[in-house]
Amino acid sequence: MKRYFAVLLGVLTAIGGFVDIGDLVTNAQVGARFGWSLVWIVVLGVVGICVFAEMSGRIAAVSHRATFDLVRERLGPRMGLLNLVGSMLVTLLTFIAEIGGVALALQLVSSVHHVLLVPFVAVAVWIVLWRAKFSSIENVLGLLGLTLIGFAVALWQLGPDWSEMVATLSPAEKPAGESWATYAFFGVALFGAAMTPYEVFFFSSGGVEERWTSKDIGVMRANVFIGFPLGGVLSVAIAGCAAVVFLPQGIVVESLGQVGLPVAVALGKIGLAVVVLGFFAATFGAACETGLSVGYSLAQYVGFQWGKFVRPTEAAGFHVVLLVVTVLAAGVLLTGVDPIMVTEVSVVFSAIALPLTYFPILVVANDPDYLGEHSNGWFANALGIFYLVVITVVSLAAIPLMVVTSMGQG
Amino acid sequence: MGSQRRTVVAVLLVLAALAAGPLAACTVVDEPAAADWDHSAERALSDMASEVGSARLALDTARRERLWPPYALVLVTEAEEAAGTVEEDLSRLQVPPQREQQAEQVLDLLAVAVTTVSEARSRAVEGRYDDPALLDRMERLASRLTGEAGRYASG
Amino acid sequence: MTAARGSRPSYDAALHLLDRQVVDSDGRLVAKVDDVELVRADDGRLLVTGILSGLPALLPRFGPRAGSLAARVHREIRWAAADQEQPLVIGFDLVDEVTSEVRLSCSAEGLLERAQGGRWRLGTLLGTPVHGPGVHRSARVLDARVRGRLGGPGDHVVEALVVGPGRPGALLGYDRRSEPGPWLVGSFVRWLHRHAVVVDLGAGVELDLEAGEVRITGDASVRPLLG
Repeated sequence: MKRYFAVLLGVLTAIGGFVDIGDLVTNAQVGARFGWSLVWIVVLGVVGICVFAEMSGRIAAVSHRATFDLVRERLGPRMGLLNLVGSMLVTLLTFIAEIGGVALALQLVSSVHHVLLVPFVAVAVWIVLWRAKFSSIENVLGLLGLTLIGFAVALWQLGPDWSEMVATLSPAEKPAGESWATYAFFGVALFGAAMTPYEVFFFSSGGVEERWTSKDIGVMRANVFIGFPLGGVLSVAIAGCAAVVFLPQGIVVESLGQVGLPVAVALGKIGLAVVVLGFFAATFGAACETGLSVGYSLAQYVGFQWGKFVRPTEAAGFHVVLLVVTVLAAGVLLTGVDPIMVTEVSVVFSAIALPLTYFPILVVANDPDYLGEHSNGWFANALGIFYLVVITVVSLAAIPLMVVTSMGQG
Repeated sequence: MGSQRRTVVAVLLVLAALAAGPLAACTVVDEPAAADWDHSAERALSDMASEVGSARLALDTARRERLWPPYALVLVTEAEEAAGTVEEDLSRLQVPPQREQQAEQVLDLLAVAVTTVSEARSRAVEGRYDDPALLDRMERLASRLTGEAGRYASG
Repeated sequence: MTAARGSRPSYDAALHLLDRQVVDSDGRLVAKVDDVELVRADDGRLLVTGILSGLPALLPRFGPRAGSLAARVHREIRWAAADQEQPLVIGFDLVDEVTSEVRLSCSAEGLLERAQGGRWRLGTLLGTPVHGPGVHRSARVLDARVRGRLGGPGDHVVEALVVGPGRPGALLGYDRRSEPGPWLVGSFVRWLHRHAVVVDLGAGVELDLEAGEVRITGDASVRPLLG
């Protein structure tokens, strides 16, 4: 019974923790501009994150090595450092966006300007990172994040013509007013948002934090293969709500408030309150995850003690890094930069950084030295290679597309 | 060592060429000033239509008691700020001689839109959402902006 | 946990040891294996004597140019300190087990000391050009094959060098298994290293690290790595 409960809890937190500020904003933007015609990218991205999260989780369970241990061991110190710098910058950017997202969510309730809320959010995030237990962060915020199911309910209430929706799923249904370059750019952004590298840093380091062993592989797989796709369904519901409400009126999504507006239209104040709680939980949870991920990757490259499974004094270096990045993120947001713009940039740079993370994972997942009998089978390898090609193409295409479309505006 | 470096350089050159191809294609084409302006006007008009639509939707949802006041205010304020930026960006562009007349029309329309969104915001501040005339006006304004944008899209 | 390599009679130092996490007997994370200390014994054998850690060990491994620049800058920061160039060392006799981590047989509290000067490092040996018959003209040292039982008694002796064109580490471990991973990546890496050979240390092999090269004569035993 206890075991079933553990599986259920894991799956539920995986669903609730899947969506972050990048998913919220990008999905709503894409839904408002492209309707259903980019949904296939979400499916592609969700399958991809499942493939690589399963591999990194398996490595963490069997060998107790998290992602950046592998990066350094397999790529050596020099390539590893380049990788570290790139990944840390992207994760830091995401961290800034998440903290900004928490402030934006609170602004929707209080109408206090988000810049004024940033210092309080940053202090709250840091206190949670310092004091809270790893499992409480994951479970409480993950379960609260489930309230984003409100988007699925809202979509059902809005009652789009489902048969028409199915007919507009193909890329050929791109709205005529949009160029193929913008279509591709938003495809890259959506893919980057779904496959954000920090998710595997966090997932694999979390496996080490929770002391997974090879006995836990089954539970881990249930979390990944049930939780992540259902999280992806929430992403699609967000895009769908925007497609139903905004696309016909030609409204472009530029703020977190607009992301929740379709829920208000469909469900009213209570539905909206539930979803805004979801915004808060999803961004706060992701802020903790990205903040920890920055500390994890640096510590795993250099080799000092990390993790919340030891007392903060035993991992002093790790906690200093967490403090520094939180102060840094708050500082950036206090300049008044728009968190939504930071989010847009972060998902594109996530897409660029994808191969840095996923290539070493694929290599080590095949290494019997690490995994013994649990190394990749042919199916995981076929998918792994397929995604390696996709990721490389996406990563190379991201910068040219960003320039050509001037961040999707053209 | 030597051969390896040559390979690396060759690969980098190929990558650079691949990346430069699409970029060059965009910059080499010498767009005449009028087409350039048309493009900006289309962008400004459709962006403004989006802001007016967003403010109207917020107001309308609040009118039907489906949105709480701070939330509606945040949405309308954001729309007002963005509308101001859209107008400012276009008015700062140099107008090509053959577009002077159109520019005046477009900027007038944008100014009307900015005023209307400001009006919507002051309603939101006062909490008086029930103004069917304003909502109606905004709806017509949004479709007019979209229509105008369509005119410049072909050019 | 993976199969302990402690029972295996030989291992490749760069692949199995370098850049691994060092963990002490209480399970605390200590450091990374930033480099491996080598000592030339009186009888000419090359022995593995310790694990080096810290910036003085790590920085020189960033390559001939960037690495030496970084190491020089690091030295200048505390130019008055006599030990600024020396990394910290953990004696190799304290290594209990090498799996996906390097496990020590004792607590690491206060264990790390400054290394003695004048010893060799695996990082210096890796990447050194190799000249002589039977090897590719732009061959370098890619790895060092060590005979010894981890956690058991006895010395750890470098008995052979893996030599070939390319960069140390670029083999990604694909040379040493019968069932290499994703077929595409595996065969590509193996194709890149089709000229790699194993050179036994002994007659006909001269390690001249001062001059920065390894010279091989016709007497040396050279066999292909793959195949």
